[in-house]
Formats: sequence, structure tokens, C-alpha cells
Amino acid sequence: MMAPVAEFRSACSTEEAVTWLAELGADGCVLAGGTDVMMQYARHELGPAAFVHIEGIEELAGVGRDGVVRIGALVTHRRLAEDAALRTSNPALADAAATVGGWQTQSVGTLGGNLCNGSPAADSAPPLLVADATVELQSRAGIRRVPLEEFFLGRRRVDRRPEELLTAVEVEPLGSRQAEVYLKVGRRGAMVVAVVGLAARLSFDARGAIAAARVALCSAAPTPLRVRSVEQALVGLDAALPGWQDATSPSLRDGIDALMHAVSPIGDLRSSEAYRRAVLPGLLARAIEICRARAGVGVPEG
Amino acid sequence: MEIEVTVNGVVRGVEVRPHETLLALLRDRLGLRGAKNGCSEGECGACTVLLDGAPIDACIYPAAACAGRSVTTVEGLAPPDGELTALQRAFVDSGAVQCGFCTPGLLMTLHALLAERAAPSEAEVRRAIVGNICRCTGYAHVVDAVAQAVGARR
Repeated sequence: MMAPVAEFRSACSTEEAVTWLAELGADGCVLAGGTDVMMQYARHELGPAAFVHIEGIEELAGVGRDGVVRIGALVTHRRLAEDAALRTSNPALADAAATVGGWQTQSVGTLGGNLCNGSPAADSAPPLLVADATVELQSRAGIRRVPLEEFFLGRRRVDRRPEELLTAVEVEPLGSRQAEVYLKVGRRGAMVVAVVGLAARLSFDARGAIAAARVALCSAAPTPLRVRSVEQALVGLDAALPGWQDATSPSLRDGIDALMHAVSPIGDLRSSEAYRRAVLPGLLARAIEICRARAGVGVPEG
Repeated sequence: MEIEVTVNGVVRGVEVRPHETLLALLRDRLGLRGAKNGCSEGECGACTVLLDGAPIDACIYPAAACAGRSVTTVEGLAPPDGELTALQRAFVDSGAVQCGFCTPGLLMTLHALLAERAAPSEAEVRRAIVGNICRCTGYAHVVDAVAQAVGARR
């Protein structure tokens, strides 16, 4: 039986939070909306000496734009889902945020928390990965910037040191002739942890063929992951050609082969490994179709 | 630690423990038993209360984090004279209450929805309550009640 947490400290600034985290080291636990931490605490999965509560740090709750979109760690899923500007610049992230738990979870659950929790099923991860996200970590020693792809080290393990606070995530907004989507498979339409999730951001050339692709997954490996081999295989795919979804279509078949090689799904109480593998090809094809429609590609002119 | 929190419009000074949940504070120490403990894991929504107007699961929200903030429970919906809100009246009239365990949580989420949108669509109502589980599966009457409450407010 772990000793109950002895202290609750509410930080008013990033500086105060990182000072406390340095002092506490591994005995400290960052707490924002609590939707993961409080549940894990109740299940005795973590036993910190002190909670460092950061929800009141206003400077971490903003969204800034300067070429890249800078999203503060405390921006909630609700805001990601509802904010009109974010929905325009990063629609897949908005789609993903809208699927995280119910309204109650989205009210207080934060983007920073979703990433630091290190779940293989983190819904926000695939859309961020296809937006080439970088996370910013602050400590008393300064600021460290880590590409999100390298931030995920393993199941429930991320590249954040105990004295570091994740302060912001920087993402690329959608460019012209680009579209993106997040597709999530679950047993219900809501309140589920992803059986698998797939985000795609596709760039189309003037003819409507795929000029560049980014594809990322969750619940398909020990960490969320970007699948560059799939991205390469999709370049040149012209979904205007009849039968592109067939196994005889070279680009899609290569993409699906690459996808099946890249993933290492597990069987657990939410789904079997076989099912996870079985749904992925269709998910990839659907993502391409939706991106084409969203980008206005293939829509007859006039 | 000593915190001040506004509960149903009244500022309360309370001593809270670092690991205490908001639900434990409300039910066990403030005697407000409207919010229910269903799953203890933020899944069922029976413990839904409003924190600064937003619905949250009180069972996984730390009481200490409520310092300086405002919490509304189902006990705080009707004014002191006891007249029900339009939504509460509609729940009664539409038969939206079956066993009643999920009712306080549903009322809180739907009050938050109606504060944001005067006349939500049925799809918006259903989406708003995905985090409120009714084990009696009485959702249709709940959706009817919202439509009735919206009509009554016009």
C-alpha cells in the first residue's frame, strides 16, 4: 500500500512549477485536469509525494500563431474541438479532441496531459504527428524542444524528465491543396479508447494525385507512430483512376503492405490483434477518400 | 490544506486532503449527495457537476484544485424557493427519470448545454450526454425533456 500523497501545490507560473519540480524530482507529479492522473492514483498506479497542480498557469492556456500554430499545454480537448481557428488550421486535431471521452473529460483534460500520459492510444498524437509537431519542455536549466515523434519512447514512457514541464506543442497548419483527417475505430461512436486510430495529411498536385503524404497511427504499436514507409508508397497515387482501391492498384497495395509491416498491434480487452490488422487497410483507403473530398480534389469543375 | 470554494453560490472554507476528490468533498463533508458515485473512474457521468460552468466528473477531479473556483451541483439548480428549473420540470413531466441514479449528472450536463445553446438540435443533445450513462437506457425521454424545456423557455 502506497502512502497517500502528502502535498498539493498549485503553481501560479511556469517558473514556480519548474522550481517545485526540480526540488521534488521523482517525488513530484504534474497534475492538470486530473482525468488520467487522478484515476491512476486511485488505482495505485502512481504514488507521488506531491502533486504539482498547473491548471492555474494562464501562460500555458493560450494558442499563438506565427507561421506555426503554438498550442499551450493546458489547452483543453473541448477548446481544441470547438475553437473555429484551430478547426480550420488543424481539423484532424479538432476531430480527435472531440472523441476523447465525454464532455466532462474534454472540459478539463489537456493536450499536454494527453501526450505526457504516454498512452499508445492517445487520440491527439496521430493528428499532431501528421502536423510535424514539436513539444517544448521547460525546466530550470532552460527550454528543450523535442520532435513529437521522438518524444514517445515506449508504452507509457515519454522523453520528459521529472524536472521538466511540457509547456507547449507547435504544429504546422494545413497548407494550400492539403487536407487531413483523423479516423478512429471503436466499439461505440463515443467514450471509447481507440481500437486503432489513423490520421492522414495529404497534399495533392494540380491533377489531383497525391504529391506528399503524412500518415500516423495510434493503438497500433507500443507508441503512437508516424509511418514514413506508407507515406512514401502513397506519393503519386491518383485516386481519380478507377479501381484505385483494388489490390491491383500498385500505389495502394504498396501503401497497405508498408502499413502492415510498420504496425505491431496487440490483442487486449478492446480488440484482437487480427481485428486491428484487418481494419487498417480500409481505414487508409477511407482516409484518402475523405482527404480528396475535403481538398476539393476530383470534384468536377463548372 | 484550507481552501475557499464557492459551492452553489455560497463561499465555503474547507480543509481538504491532497488526494481528496471533489465528489468526496461534496458528498461526505458538505452533505451534498445529489452527485452520485457510479464508476469512480470518469466513465459514467453520475457525478457530473459544473466547475466554473463546465461539466466535469467530480469523482476524478481533485478537491484542492477547486480553490477560488465555483462549483454547482444539482442542489444548486433550483432557486431557494424550490421552484424547479424548466429542464427539471421537463424531466418530471416527460418521464425522463427512471431509477434516478443518472438524473443529477444528466441535469448538470444539459444545463451546461442550454447555457451555451438556447435551442440545441437533437444531435447536439445526444452528443452532449455521451459521458452520461443511463443504465435504464432511458435516453429518448431525456432528449424529449430537453425539447420540452426549450419549448417552455420560448
